[in-house]
Amino acid sequence: MTDIIHEPELDHHGEHESTGIENRKLGMWIFLSSEFLFFGALISNYLLYSNRGGFPSPYPAEIYDIPFTSVSSFVLLMSSLTMVLAHNALSRDDQNGARTWLFATAALGSVFLGGQVFEFTDFVVEYGMTLSTNPAASAFYLLTGFHGAHVAIGVIMLLSLWGISRRQGGLSEKHGLNLELVGLYWHFVDIIWIVIFTVVYLLSIPPV
Amino acid sequence: MSEEHSHPTPAQYWKIAVVLAILTAIEVALFYIDQELQLGFLNAALLISLAIAKFIIVVGWYMHLRFENPLLNRFFTGGFILALSLYGIVLAALGVLVIRGG
Amino acid sequence: MTATAERPSTTIFRRPRSTEGIWSWITTVDHKKIGIMYGYAAFFFFLLGGIEALLLRIHLAQANSEFLTAGAYNALFTMHGTTMIFLFVMPVSAAFINYMLPLLIGARDVAFPRLNALSWWIFVFGGIFLYSTFIFGTSLAPIGVDGVGGIDGNLPPGGGPGGFNFLADSPDGGWFGYQPNAGPLYSSGTALDFWALGLQILGLASLISSVNFIVTVFNMRAVGMRLLRMPVFAWMATVTSFLLLFSLPIIAVALFMVTFDRQFGTLFFLASEGGDPILWQHLFWLFGHPEVYILILPAMGIVSEVLPVFSKKPLFGYSAVVFAGAAIAFLGFGVWAHHMFASGITPVAQAAFGLATMTIAIPTGIKIFNWLGTMWMGKIRLNTPMLFAIGFVAMFTIGGLSGVTHAIVPSDWQQTDTYYIVAHFHYVLFGGAIFGIFAGLYYWFPKLSGRVMDDRLGKVHFWLMMIGFNLTFAPMHWLGLQGMVRRTWKYAPETGLEPWNVAVSIGAFIIALGILVFMYNWWASRRSGELSGLDPWDARTIEWTIPNPTPEYNFAVAPTVARLDHFWHLKYDEDDEGRAVRKPDADEIISELEYNGLNPATPIHLPAPSYFPVLMALGIPIIAYGIIYHEALWGKIAIAVGALISLSALIGWGIEPLEEPHAADEGEHDEVEAELVATAGEEAVMDVDGEEDDE
Repeated sequence: MTDIIHEPELDHHGEHESTGIENRKLGMWIFLSSEFLFFGALISNYLLYSNRGGFPSPYPAEIYDIPFTSVSSFVLLMSSLTMVLAHNALSRDDQNGARTWLFATAALGSVFLGGQVFEFTDFVVEYGMTLSTNPAASAFYLLTGFHGAHVAIGVIMLLSLWGISRRQGGLSEKHGLNLELVGLYWHFVDIIWIVIFTVVYLLSIPPV
Repeated sequence: MSEEHSHPTPAQYWKIAVVLAILTAIEVALFYIDQELQLGFLNAALLISLAIAKFIIVVGWYMHLRFENPLLNRFFTGGFILALSLYGIVLAALGVLVIRGG
Repeated sequence: MTATAERPSTTIFRRPRSTEGIWSWITTVDHKKIGIMYGYAAFFFFLLGGIEALLLRIHLAQANSEFLTAGAYNALFTMHGTTMIFLFVMPVSAAFINYMLPLLIGARDVAFPRLNALSWWIFVFGGIFLYSTFIFGTSLAPIGVDGVGGIDGNLPPGGGPGGFNFLADSPDGGWFGYQPNAGPLYSSGTALDFWALGLQILGLASLISSVNFIVTVFNMRAVGMRLLRMPVFAWMATVTSFLLLFSLPIIAVALFMVTFDRQFGTLFFLASEGGDPILWQHLFWLFGHPEVYILILPAMGIVSEVLPVFSKKPLFGYSAVVFAGAAIAFLGFGVWAHHMFASGITPVAQAAFGLATMTIAIPTGIKIFNWLGTMWMGKIRLNTPMLFAIGFVAMFTIGGLSGVTHAIVPSDWQQTDTYYIVAHFHYVLFGGAIFGIFAGLYYWFPKLSGRVMDDRLGKVHFWLMMIGFNLTFAPMHWLGLQGMVRRTWKYAPETGLEPWNVAVSIGAFIIALGILVFMYNWWASRRSGELSGLDPWDARTIEWTIPNPTPEYNFAVAPTVARLDHFWHLKYDEDDEGRAVRKPDADEIISELEYNGLNPATPIHLPAPSYFPVLMALGIPIIAYGIIYHEALWGKIAIAVGALISLSALIGWGIEPLEEPHAADEGEHDEVEAELVATAGEEAVMDVDGEEDDE
């Protein structure tokens, strides 16, 4: 006669964690470490093509709007602050604070995305730089597009947590961990942008 | 929730944000200074150092990596270094300097 | 206590309850069931890939053959390679890791059971998606100057002259999909879109499972199972997972670039527009070379389990084998450009990558000598698993040696794109990986069936494979050195290549016969094979301390491990001269283990089945179809529908409740757990310290 009790995950019962790090947190860190290889390939791709001259203009580096991008980079950077404040509020069991900062983070992320939409539209409409203009343009859109997709996924996750918190009047322990995980993901997307901002925007020089 | 001891306080998080903001301002300023003075390699070196500084601050404090089990640091740094070396070699093999200093 | 699965459900869907029938398989999150499904699906694709190979061999048995059209020939070698690598060896390794890893480290399941189910479903839908190219794919002739097709030297439309043509509308760019040949300009049909997106989906499945397996190994080990007490297969599974983790993102980007080139007008690999086809080669082989070790390391792990058991000796140099495996993986990231010596990379790069490639021979050699050392002076039993393991060591050594010859650049230039290369990688991937896989299937068959596979038929299978394999692939060495070029549809009779090609084709059919014997043996042994009991092989590791077939909960009591080869030390003592002596009460210990394994004393918590993994995976191929046909309205709708399905499943997944059931019996249970965690905590500290040197 055996009693078998089915549960969604094992990690809260019956099994221990040899490293002392919660399974999902360890998994998130491992996943993020592989994302370096993903974005590394995209950035290298851009570096390879960004100053190979002789193909139709404009090249991305010819038309960057550095003041504009600086502002949106700053917005994304500050969203890391609000994210960490959300996490901090929750760890002090300040549910209202956590909810507010979550929403602020999602809002800042959306502003960044809006900036990206504006930038892409500007490049296509004003300057006529499309995916097919030259390989540098292709690489620029692929890189910043995939980064934007990551931000968008982050915003969706932040808003889901915010919604759950509103509906349930706060975040349970399980969702508290989720908030920490979303936070890790969010900061990671931010550090990738730190690299992109420097390497792809500030240091990129159009072909001579 | 995991143990939160020795984590920074909100006030410290704000201070860190101010530092990040200042670093970003310096970056943008450098970009314009370089337009005038053509610092070349120096500009590239400074900008990359600033990016590394911001990177380390966000990872170390906002992502709490400083306060976590060193195992996580090993995974994360491992992935970063692997990406850096592999793509560095690829770009070198394809005849691209990693960063063109101008 | 009758506290079974019955409990209130707060979600929109009721949790799936079936424990039998098809729904129990569709909604299962049990690592064993998932492993079995992976295994059967992989074997199905193995048969497909095998049939493709046989068609190729029928064609090549004759000079100037027109059995296949050139188009069908290209499609068949492409799909043969793609299938065997991505749809057979990788998933069958995933099957082994899924089924065996938790048992080997003493866990009840993997760290994320639902993610595990998600990986499996993404894999199977990805495989179906890839093969649906046979139905939907088109492989148009290149866009020629006249807009109809037929740039000089390319195929005319319709696959060209010759006979058998119905597969010609399939991916035909080789498993490596070199650009720009596989790009929009030279392969304008949809077949290569199916290929690129199919591999993308399969890669996603592997990426998810790699995270899952790494967390499992780091977090789910039994008490006392330190990293350096893990069986070698668990180690190789870990190393493989790291390779997947770090190499798949690279191919993901490369495949996205191909898809964007083909679908959305980017210019990454179009040389005439400024793109760089060599970048594809770099990205592909940055992934592709670690991939080779992804294919071989699990088999090496299996062999390292089998050899000690059938030699009645501990693995010679356990830690050397483990570190050599890790070293192979690490070095494996630094040698990709040896696939590109003929691509015009600089002499410095050639020298550097040639040297780096040679260094891989060192850890590989360490492993081979350790396996030989394991068998040396052992009491060898030549059962089928052992035969396959020995076959692995011998064949892999030959393949490894021919591999070292590619590290010498001038020699490599001679060998590039000849059958010598084909011979080499079949010696390591067939003689290596597949022999290892069969060793594992025979060895662990009792774990899933409670029976032993027939040894006589197994030996017939082995010898047919061994003879067929060498007859097939050994002559390819000299065919290649005589100048027979890979992927070439026809060879002229005056080349004198025909006799050996006939031999090769005969060998291929002998292998096929061997596989038929294996299939019959599997089927018959499942029905009426000899019952295995708990310990059919006098084994060494803890997966054999539990009953066969494996109970749903794996371990009735969470195991505690005191040393390497824990089970062996339960049964054997050493005498004064250090020889192993079976304890007088060994049989009693075994029957006690069997009784206890079948009659757990305390309630056991297991992960509950879920609908959401399969649902979430379902959305992904729908999106992929939508991308291929995105210019049509229904393509756009498909993208939206697929995304909606996956997203809703994700939300359902997220809110699937984590109930806190059984407040009553929870109390006593928790105390035991608390104790376990306390001990485990200490272990972990020691592990982390001991690990400094590992990495």
